[in-house]
Amino acid sequence: MAEGIRIGVAVKHGIDVALTRADRTTGLVQLSSAPRKTSDFDKNAVEEAVRLRERNGGTVTAISVGGPAAREALREAAAIGADNLALVTAENWASWDTRAVARLLAAATAQLGGFDLFLLGEGSTDHFAGLVGPRLAAELGVADIAYVRKLAIEAGVVVAEKDLEREVEVVRARFPVVVTVGQEINTPRLATFTANLKASKKEVKVLTPSDLGLKAEALAPVVTIERVAVPETPRKQVAITGATPDELATRLRDALRQEGVAP
Amino acid sequence: MSPDPFLCYSEEPDVAVDLVRLARSLADPSGTGVRAVVPPGAPADLADRLAAGGAHGLEIVPGPAESDPQVLAATLAEIVRVAKPGLLLFGSTKRGREVAGRLAGLLDLPALTGATAVRLEGESVRVEREALSGNAVAIERIPRGPAIVAVLPGTTGPAPAPVASVERREHPTAPPPPLTERTEVRTKPGGQLEIEKAERIVTIGRGLRKKEDLTMIEALARALGAEVGCTRPLAAEAGWLSDDHWIGLTGHRVHPKLYVALGVSGAVQHLVGMRSARIVVAVNRDANAPIFAQADYKIVGDLYQIVPALLRALGG
Ligand SMILES: Cc1cc2nc3c(=O)[nH]c(=O)nc-3n(C[C@H](O)[C@H](O)[C@H](O)COP(=O)(O)OP(=O)(O)OC[C@H]3O[C@@H](n4cnc5c(N)ncnc54)[C@H](O)[C@@H]3O)c2cc1C
Ligand SMILES: Nc1ncnc2c1ncn2[C@@H]1O[C@H](COP(=O)(O)O)[C@@H](O)[C@H]1O
Repeated sequence: MAEGIRIGVAVKHGIDVALTRADRTTGLVQLSSAPRKTSDFDKNAVEEAVRLRERNGGTVTAISVGGPAAREALREAAAIGADNLALVTAENWASWDTRAVARLLAAATAQLGGFDLFLLGEGSTDHFAGLVGPRLAAELGVADIAYVRKLAIEAGVVVAEKDLEREVEVVRARFPVVVTVGQEINTPRLATFTANLKASKKEVKVLTPSDLGLKAEALAPVVTIERVAVPETPRKQVAITGATPDELATRLRDALRQEGVAP
Repeated sequence: MSPDPFLCYSEEPDVAVDLVRLARSLADPSGTGVRAVVPPGAPADLADRLAAGGAHGLEIVPGPAESDPQVLAATLAEIVRVAKPGLLLFGSTKRGREVAGRLAGLLDLPALTGATAVRLEGESVRVEREALSGNAVAIERIPRGPAIVAVLPGTTGPAPAPVASVERREHPTAPPPPLTERTEVRTKPGGQLEIEKAERIVTIGRGLRKKEDLTMIEALARALGAEVGCTRPLAAEAGWLSDDHWIGLTGHRVHPKLYVALGVSGAVQHLVGMRSARIVVAVNRDANAPIFAQADYKIVGDLYQIVPALLRALGG
């Protein structure tokens, strides 16, 4: 493997959940106009890809499926060290669901010559489904290891620590492998000023569904989002005041006893 | 003609039983359509628990426990071929979501995870799920016949009437060879705590300066008859508490009567874990902390002064 490892990494330009505001009267969130940013765990996926390339040699290709603004997620990936950038796009990109995204990523993988290792986030910040990674692996017919917290490569074999609710599993798989990661795996580096500048000049390969041999029917949504609303949880909002900590504490205790929740 | 059956699957026995109840609450009462998978390596009593829990039929996969997602998905695909379900209900656990994605890709099925409520409406399924990292609730629609909906643990229905005779079907599968090899399993530290079941919780955030100060928090929890919870940084970064204390999007969702948040800022990813608490108390020295918007009782102050005072007030 003189040329090192071919690594693909998926970056979603998703909705910025911290900045999303609901309409005051209806409580509804307008998804189409919501501010966007790179999905959190995808930054960890890019960082891990770049670290593996630094250790083992090879190339890192970042792929985003989305609209024109998704170029920003690709630029950020390049600033951390991705070598090649690809944007999979079409006019109707906003209608693509998990199934369509997985299909497009699988077709793009084939188009770009295949990857030994494909890294994704274990859940996207906005949708948090945890589906695209395993779905992509099934589309490609390759191994998948989700919820990875530690990753190493030993002679064409991926060794991963998979974090489940109550246990950690050590799992090995031969290339090609799809791996999903969370934010515990690493701390993404901050891009330098020069890296940011260079990244904004990097060429983005644009791929459309027809370039990838996919017909519109194959990408038609099967899951539709009907409405997104911020739930109303009415809270009493009682400010406990007092001159000393003991006064505050006594008043809080009494209020909680009144509620029947403190001994 | 009876409608296509439901197929319930979770590797977690308790979740599997909850799924059967949920399916029975959705199923036509006159129908016989709730089938549950007894996965390979399941505890010996699972089949009986599922039968007692209201399943009309069991799809039993003999053999040792299986961890490879592709083998599990291939096994389930075989069951789907035989049972022809209209809706597959999975547990939205980590493994549940992984297998759901793999199976959805294998059979080209629509799939949704993180559901908190499911309702049938004609040919489609109306699913309520967490969206925007738990900041919002989304209503999504998925067609029946067949599709996968993975529901968060705890989503269930009332205990249904038991079924007189439960049909049991064995699936001696010849799955493809596994693509992954599990070489080691380590149990995580902690793990005894079931914080999702706690009635009272005292949650500590990054307002805590050092690990030793946990003694004070634990004492307050004891005085209140509460369990100790924490935000992500304390478990994932500092490692001061084990993961079973971690509350939020990537931790546990809790439903206590009392939730006391100490030195917790109230990030959306934390709030989603505690939104259904009945009474919320927040202590934070920053009057603008977002946690206060979610609080019933608010104290702007230093937890290092309030906690000892509360201990005096409760212990006296
Ligand atoms: C994809 C994703 C998933 C996440 N999942 C989770 C999750 O499941 N759970 C979770 O909790 N977080 C999660 N997070 C992290 C979350 O965004 C926040 O970073 C985290 O909740 C902050 O924890 P904190 O409130 O303890 O710390 P901080 O935000 O640092 O807040 C500390 C607070 O303590 C107050 N304080 C400091 N000293 C004192 C004192 N002496 N007395 C009183 N108050 C004091 C400060 O005013 C501040 O408000 C996730 C993030 C992402 C991106
Ligand atoms: N539109 C997209 N473009 C690129 N990658 C994506 C896209 N949607 C999802 N992904 C990848 O799939 C992961 C899981 O997404 P999800 O299944 O939505 O939780 C994300 O963290 C990304 O790595």
